[in-house]
Order: sequence, then structure tokens, then C-alpha cells
Amino acid sequence: MIRQVSIFMENHEGRLNNLLKILAENDINIRSLNIAETMDYGIVRLILQETDKGLGVLKKHNIMSSLTPVLAAEISDQPGGLSILVDALTREKINIVYAYSFLPKKTDNAIIIMRVDDEVLDKAVETLKAVPGINLLDRETLLLK
Amino acid sequence: MYWNKSYECMPREKLQELQLERLKRMVSRIYHDVPFYRNKFQECGIMPEDIQSLADLQKLPFTTKVDLRDNYPYGLFTVPLEQIVRIHASSGTTGKPTVVGYTRNDIATWSELMARSLMAAGARPHSVIQNAYGYGLFTGGLGVHYGAERLGASIIPISGGNTAKQIMIMKDFGSTVLTCTPSYAIYLAEVLKEQGIDPEALKLEVGIFGAEPWSENIRKEIEKKLKIKAYDIYGLSEIMGPGVAIECECQNGLHMWEDHFIPEIIDPVTLEVLPHGEQGELVITTITKEGIPILRYRTRDITKIIDEPCACGRTHLRISRLQGRTDDMLIIRGVNVFPTQIESVLLEVSEVEPHYQLVVRRDGSLDTLEVKVELSETLFSDKISNLEKLERRIKERINSVTGINAKISLVEPKSLPRSEGKSQRVVDLRKI
Repeated sequence: MIRQVSIFMENHEGRLNNLLKILAENDINIRSLNIAETMDYGIVRLILQETDKGLGVLKKHNIMSSLTPVLAAEISDQPGGLSILVDALTREKINIVYAYSFLPKKTDNAIIIMRVDDEVLDKAVETLKAVPGINLLDRETLLLK
Repeated sequence: MYWNKSYECMPREKLQELQLERLKRMVSRIYHDVPFYRNKFQECGIMPEDIQSLADLQKLPFTTKVDLRDNYPYGLFTVPLEQIVRIHASSGTTGKPTVVGYTRNDIATWSELMARSLMAAGARPHSVIQNAYGYGLFTGGLGVHYGAERLGASIIPISGGNTAKQIMIMKDFGSTVLTCTPSYAIYLAEVLKEQGIDPEALKLEVGIFGAEPWSENIRKEIEKKLKIKAYDIYGLSEIMGPGVAIECECQNGLHMWEDHFIPEIIDPVTLEVLPHGEQGELVITTITKEGIPILRYRTRDITKIIDEPCACGRTHLRISRLQGRTDDMLIIRGVNVFPTQIESVLLEVSEVEPHYQLVVRRDGSLDTLEVKVELSETLFSDKISNLEKLERRIKERINSVTGINAKISLVEPKSLPRSEGKSQRVVDLRKI
């Protein structure tokens, strides 16, 4: 399981910049970022190279964050690659809450981060493990990619 | 268990007869003895003889804190000073304090009502009462003290403060009842915890808390932390002091001792008397006070009257837990809104009290209410749809409680301004 750091943020200029500066000043690398926005606020979702250190820094700066368990799957970077994954989940009636890409440095494959509802998380893991061509990554392996 | 069953459980019809008789006597007395009231009566074109039923009370003028200040210190006393045996005063945050005087009979009545109140809240003649209300000009300390002596309980007049000593005495003297403000009770519980003292090891059974508004949530917290039953007591020096109204074992509203006080609820803007069950400003008339009888005193406290019979058997009307002060009231599109109403919705939705701020604006001719709610860890979800659901729930509940369609804004934790730990709850940006 991958630990994603989720942060609530009001939707106006400077807020994201503030967060990024704090992480930069403390030498914490962001491996992946996704922002979901509404009119008034957004949620910033981060995969950090050093999650625990990042959490500590955010806490010190009074930024409320929470950890969300998400899945990371390595798939082939070609047409239809993602479709295999979504197909498998659909067959099991598992809904994807959100998904975004992770940019690997050391592989030509694509990596997708996704969240499913907590109650079907285990089922999603089992399902994806059984699909040939999908490599479900654990925390350490993901961050080495 | 009652202290004075024949009065506490008096059939309502008889109670109302008694009220009317006492009201008539008081009205006639203040008309003749106090120039202030005589002038007010004349301004309203009313004579004491015009009071022939309890409903006629509505014809009489209100009394406010300003009236007490204007007649500082003794102008509203109805007896000469030699008949006054005690003087109390409430701290004036602005200017002079308000002064009240008690005759020997007033002190006896107060002790009686306080004894009834203590009993209703679970104190008994064998109780050991640790009275941590302040002794002095404030009515809290001495009010409880005299009631406890009347009850025959053992009173420890420790007064407020000195927490280390409070805890030592609580342990060593085996106090069974604690009387203080709810906020001090919470503080005591925290110190007990810090010192590693298990409340189960104490003999404390009951807490009687008042002198400041507190919520049902705080009650639960105190009951859990101190392992006691916590009861709400109401009073104000202008009317008497603590013991004007008290919660019984049902913990569902405070019985007001109607053989001595008549409660009414008014709309604080139109001053119209509201029917039972409707929320508004509490107005109290004293009908037996000798030193300083008060006619239709506007307490500025927001509550409602509960007239359904109470399971405890007492026939006296109940007022609901105080909902706030009229000073905090907002009028939005002609609707009276109290910050506490919003607060109770937020409590209900989130289980912990979140920080919030009400922002009132005027767009063209229309008032708008924005409720800013600080997101907490318990409220946060990383799914937008959950946050939207939360906003919708708050919006719907506020609408059903106040009738107002508010805009709900979730804001970052710790982003709302705080003064002394509390948020600045209301920002009114209307330019009228």
C-alpha cells in the first residue's frame, strides 16, 4: 500500500506556493502531485519521497494533512495499457474514486496511482495481483522507480 | 425526592391562584413605595387595580439593567435600609455595578429555593458540598452556602480558585457534591488527570454548575471526566441569585420556582410575548421579593418555556438550557438568528465543536449569511464528494433550524481569528 499525503487548501493564489516552499526548504521531494478543486477549496494529494519527514515538517508548520492509503500499479506504457487495469476492476464492480499518473525515472512503463473505497481496498489488491501485465507496487519499490 | 413537596408539586391551578394573589400584592406595593415604578405605571396609563389576571402582567412595563444602573445604588429598594440584611452587586463590565438588597425574609426565601434546587439536583442532607463558587459580592458563593445549610448538608465554603487545595479537600474531606462554574469543573477534571488521580477514587457524585452558559456536549464531557451527574442551575442577582431555576433528575430543562417568580418569553425586537415553546428572551417577575422587587426583568438570556409535565412530578414550568444572550442575536432577512443555533448544528454534524465564523453581508437589498467552518482532522476527507456532502448536511440543518439559506465555506484549520482561544464568531459587514 502506498501512503499518500492529502492536504486541504483554500482555493486562492499563494496557498499552493506556500506549501511547496515549505517542502522545498526542507528538502522533501515530491514524486507525484494531484489537485482536485472546487470553487472554494481544493485537496492536494502528494506522494513524497520521504513521507514521515514530510508529515513532521507539515505538522511543524501547522498544516493539517492526513494519510490516505492508495494503490500504485505499473502497467505498460502503450495504447490499452490502462484499459486492462480498469477492465479488471470493473469486472469486480470496484469503483475508482480518483487516479493520477506517477512519473517514473527508471522504467519505460507507466505507473498509475489510484484510490478505491476503503471497504473494497483488499479486494482491489487481490484482483490486480491476479492480472498478468500489472505489477502492483509496494511503498519501497515505488519510490525506487 | 423533594424538599418541599406541597409547593414543588402544587397543582397548576392552585399555583396560578397563588401567583396572581402575590403578583397583585407586589404590584400595589411597588406602585406606592417606589417612585420609579409609579412613574412608569403612569406613563403606561396603568393602575395596580388593572391587574386582575396573570395575563394582565403583559400590560406592565419592563425593567432593564439600565433601570437598575440609573437608580444606583438603592433607588429601587422598596424598604428602608435598616430592613436590608445583605447587599450583593453584580460586576459591571461597563461603569457601575448593579446593586441588590435582601431583607431577612428574602434571605429565608433564597435559602428555601436553593435547598429545593440542591435537593432536585441530587444533593441530600448527608451530602458534603464543596462550594467552589466565589464568595463575596457575587451571589454564587453565599447563595449556595445558605441553601446547603438550610438543607442540612455539610458545606465546605472553599470559594473559587486554588485548585491544588480544591483537589486536596475533595480527596481528604470526601466531598460528594461540587458546585462551581462548568468551565472550572472542566479545569478541575484536567488537573485531576494530570496528577493521575482517578475520579472513581473520589466520593464525588453530583456537580451543580451554572453562572455561565454551557452546552449539552460540555455536560457529557464533565460527566465522563469526573464520573458524576452534572446539573444546570440558573440564577441572576437582579432576580435573586442561584436557585431561580434548576434541573431535576430528568436533566431536560430547568424548573423555575413559580411560587416566587413568573417567567415570560418575549421577542427581543418587537417585545411581544411569545407562546410557550417558542424561543426568545426570558423575562422574569419576582412576586415575593421585599428588598428589591423587580417587574418583568429583561434577562437578555435566550431560552424557551417547556410546559409539558415533567416526569419528576414537579409542576413548575421548565426553561430550556440557555441558548445564548440577546446581545449576540443577529437579524438576517427579518429572522432572529443566534450563533448558538449554528453552533448546535455544527456540534450535531461533527460531534466535536468546530471553530466557525458567521459573516453577514448585504447584497443589494438582500442579507446573506456565510458560515465559515474550520476543517478539523475528524471532518477532513480526501474525497471531494465527502466534503461536499458535509457542506450540504450543514446547510440543510441550518436551514431547518433557522430557516435561512446559508452559504457554507469550509476553511483551512486554524485560519479563523481567535481572541482568547475563542473565535470571533460574528462579522457583520452590512452597512445600514
